Amino acid sequence: MANAIHILLVDDEASLREPLANYLTRQGYKVHQAGDASAARSLLNAYDFDIILLDIMMPGEDGLSLCRFVTGKTDIPVIFISAKTEETERIIGLELGADDYVTKPFSPRELVARIKVVLRRAEKGGKKRAGSSGGVYQFSGWTLKCDRRSLTDADGVNISLSTGEYQLLLALVSRAGKVLNRDQLLDITQGREAHAFDRAIDNQISRLRRKIESDPKNPAIIKTVWGGGYVLAGEVKSL
Amino acid sequence: MMRLWPRSLVGQLLLIVALMLLLAQGINSFLLYRGAQNQNLVEASTAAVSRIAFGLDRQAGDRPVRRGGAMRASRWGRLKYGAESAVTDDMRRMPELEMRAGQAFANMGQGFSDIRATFISNLTADMTGHLIGANRGEWRNSPINRSMGGRAIPNETRGYVIISARQPDGRWVSIASVVHERSPLLVRTLLFQTITIYLLLLVPLILLGRYISRPLKSLTARAHAFQPGEAEELPEQGPPDTRELIRAFNAMSSRVSHMLNEKDVMLGAIGHDLRTPLAALRVRVESVEDERERERMIAGIEDIDHMLDDILSLARIGRSAEPAEPVDIRSLIETIVDEFTDLGHEVRYRRGEKRSARIRETLIRRALRNLIGNAILYGKSADISVEKSQDRLMIHVDDEGPGIPAEKIESMFEPFLRGDASRNRATGGSGLGLTLARAIARDHGGDIMLKNREKGGLRATLLLPAD
Repeated sequence: MANAIHILLVDDEASLREPLANYLTRQGYKVHQAGDASAARSLLNAYDFDIILLDIMMPGEDGLSLCRFVTGKTDIPVIFISAKTEETERIIGLELGADDYVTKPFSPRELVARIKVVLRRAEKGGKKRAGSSGGVYQFSGWTLKCDRRSLTDADGVNISLSTGEYQLLLALVSRAGKVLNRDQLLDITQGREAHAFDRAIDNQISRLRRKIESDPKNPAIIKTVWGGGYVLAGEVKSL
Repeated sequence: MMRLWPRSLVGQLLLIVALMLLLAQGINSFLLYRGAQNQNLVEASTAAVSRIAFGLDRQAGDRPVRRGGAMRASRWGRLKYGAESAVTDDMRRMPELEMRAGQAFANMGQGFSDIRATFISNLTADMTGHLIGANRGEWRNSPINRSMGGRAIPNETRGYVIISARQPDGRWVSIASVVHERSPLLVRTLLFQTITIYLLLLVPLILLGRYISRPLKSLTARAHAFQPGEAEELPEQGPPDTRELIRAFNAMSSRVSHMLNEKDVMLGAIGHDLRTPLAALRVRVESVEDERERERMIAGIEDIDHMLDDILSLARIGRSAEPAEPVDIRSLIETIVDEFTDLGHEVRYRRGEKRSARIRETLIRRALRNLIGNAILYGKSADISVEKSQDRLMIHVDDEGPGIPAEKIESMFEPFLRGDASRNRATGGSGLGLTLARAIARDHGGDIMLKNREKGGLRATLLLPAD
């Protein structure tokens, strides 16, 4: 167990924290538990953690504040665990630097899958997160705002995107002009959503084209590179 | 036509007062007119009575006719003597006039054994030479009188009074007298009077009405636009009754705000405190060995979670933190349709013209998801189309199911009621889907409508105000 992945689990509810810690231990992880933010801080000083699972709503210092502290000081990836409310959905939309989030009640298996994805991504590219938070991109008359996860057309009308489509578009826009193959795209975008694995990248690309291309059969924005993958054509302004 | 009846309190009050005044003035005028007519009749018969008395006096005194008397006699009309009364039996007699004449004669020392009086509109031929008062208006209408400020009256004849008296010798003496029409002066006076009363009464009434209705109007506006948690109280104004009403309204709105805040706190507690133990349960379920048992437990937990989600969303309608923004309806539908097709459901939508509406996207997504979910659950598949009429956008979700009996359509929107009337879990859903969808639509100024299609199946329509 010496090389086991080390998880810090922070949640004020012992009734959830303890069985979850047990489950993760059974899955081969090394788990430390903290009941509040100050306990978490002292554990962070004592150990090197590979990943933090963090509850947002806690008495005293909340999870958001702790997350800011962690992402500001370290490279440790964070997954939020939160009871779904409108407020948390909005906050998560603001991308406070967390790598992923799950809402209570969640499937422990799915949580483990997400932990793996986040760790793999962290291993590969350090702190490479999908898009810088708060960034705004303009391309071919479209505006993509990362803080609100919104895509608007030239008239200011919002275009509805699924989470997967948004991730894919952000991946392409933030790497405009660079050809990305399917594996790379899958790598960048997956993990955010449970069904991301089931969907072929090609399928999502065609849905995205239908929404943003004036002629989806003859795409001008997201171009297919034969044998390679996809590339975002045209100029991208990053504001 | 309907516009004639004012809708406001003050308008109705004014109209009623004006109508009643008009009626009162009408009755008044009628009575005055009647009185005036009667007076003319009396005037005419008084002239006739004095003419008879004067004529008999002269006859009795046997005085010579003065200079100019002949002319005057002819002009004033002469008495008619005869064995028969000029008032024949076929004429309608007027007992009141006869009585008055009898009294007048008695006062002048004349005694008659019989007195007859009548009113006729056309003068009989035998009385043409025995008429008095025909030129009464002459003096009044003369330039001298007019120049001195006297008022002109028309010299119109309404009819004639004939008075006939039986002398002690058995002979009758008769005379006719003109009854004049009443002057239009009366109408003018009445008109002036009415206008004066109107001005005196209606102006203060209008002011009073506004005094009453202005606070009521602002109260109405406030009640319509009531937002829970509004700190500002409506100022108390108007008459005491209205002040009391405003005070009661203020108290009520603060109670409502308080209750809604309590509800929010409670819902927050439910959302957080119920989900955490549910999450704990969900984790513990993983250690259940029997796979079938485990799957069932997981499904149960997910059901509870969905139901919780629906209840919380329904309770939070109208208090969303999400701003309404223009959203492209085509891409919105496509996003939801893709969710369903990815799960293997048959949902069809053909991209049409570009349409946008100001909406809270996550809420409308949810409403649409519920409609499509119902279509799949009860009608196997869903066909989605968008229609625009004037300022409204309609998103139709058609299925090929059995539809709903017309009388049950409205009750479908009641919470916890499902189409199959059974609560078995096999059909799934919390029973809040349509309730929630309608609440969301109405929060956007739209609605949800259900209609059985002619070709079979149900059409659910999400109505939204178009951009």
